[in-house]
Amino acid sequence: MWNPAKSVILSSVCTKLVILLVFVFAFIAPNLVDYYLGNVAIKHPDTAFWFLVTVYACCVPALYALYCLDRLLANIKKKEIFIEKNVKYLRRISWCCFAVSLLILIATFSSLLLFIAAIAAAFIGLILRVVKNVIEQAMILKDENDLTI
Amino acid sequence: MAIVANLDVIMAKRKKSAGELADEIGITPANLSVLKNNKAKAIRFSTLEELCKALDCQPGDILEYVEE
Repeated sequence: MWNPAKSVILSSVCTKLVILLVFVFAFIAPNLVDYYLGNVAIKHPDTAFWFLVTVYACCVPALYALYCLDRLLANIKKKEIFIEKNVKYLRRISWCCFAVSLLILIATFSSLLLFIAAIAAAFIGLILRVVKNVIEQAMILKDENDLTI
Repeated sequence: MAIVANLDVIMAKRKKSAGELADEIGITPANLSVLKNNKAKAIRFSTLEELCKALDCQPGDILEYVEE
């Protein structure tokens, strides 16, 4: 039967897969840029280099966010949900999303289409911030409940 | 802490150990310790009722208001 514990394991496995995917993507990024040269995002060979730089710069917050997500899931597995650490992880993931959004915004020099991706990243960051606020309030409620005898 | 729980005083008077009392009122010794050490933020009426029953006292014997 499907249960919350299995769901957390699935999320954990997916997170690790995405981490692997980021590494694979980082590895083949130069080839990808070459392939798409002259197409949608990279219209000019000169911009290709700077586009690659922004792509690699995006990998840093992405990997850090995935690391935080992995730690968060590890805490959830341990049934420690409404704790200070999880709020901290969520806040960091949210800031990583904003950082990626900013980096993509810089990359819009190659194509205005990337503007959509920047908005999407910022939106995810915003949603995570709200989730963080919710967990923060839940933490206070849990604390109150735990200390009601 | 404006409201103080004087549980240890009344427990000593009734000669009841913490484990015994916790067992009697149906809460964990850890929770009783929270209450005894004035770390609790609130007390349920049901817990207070059980405490009064087990210690044969009034809520006022357990809880006290102290000017800060």
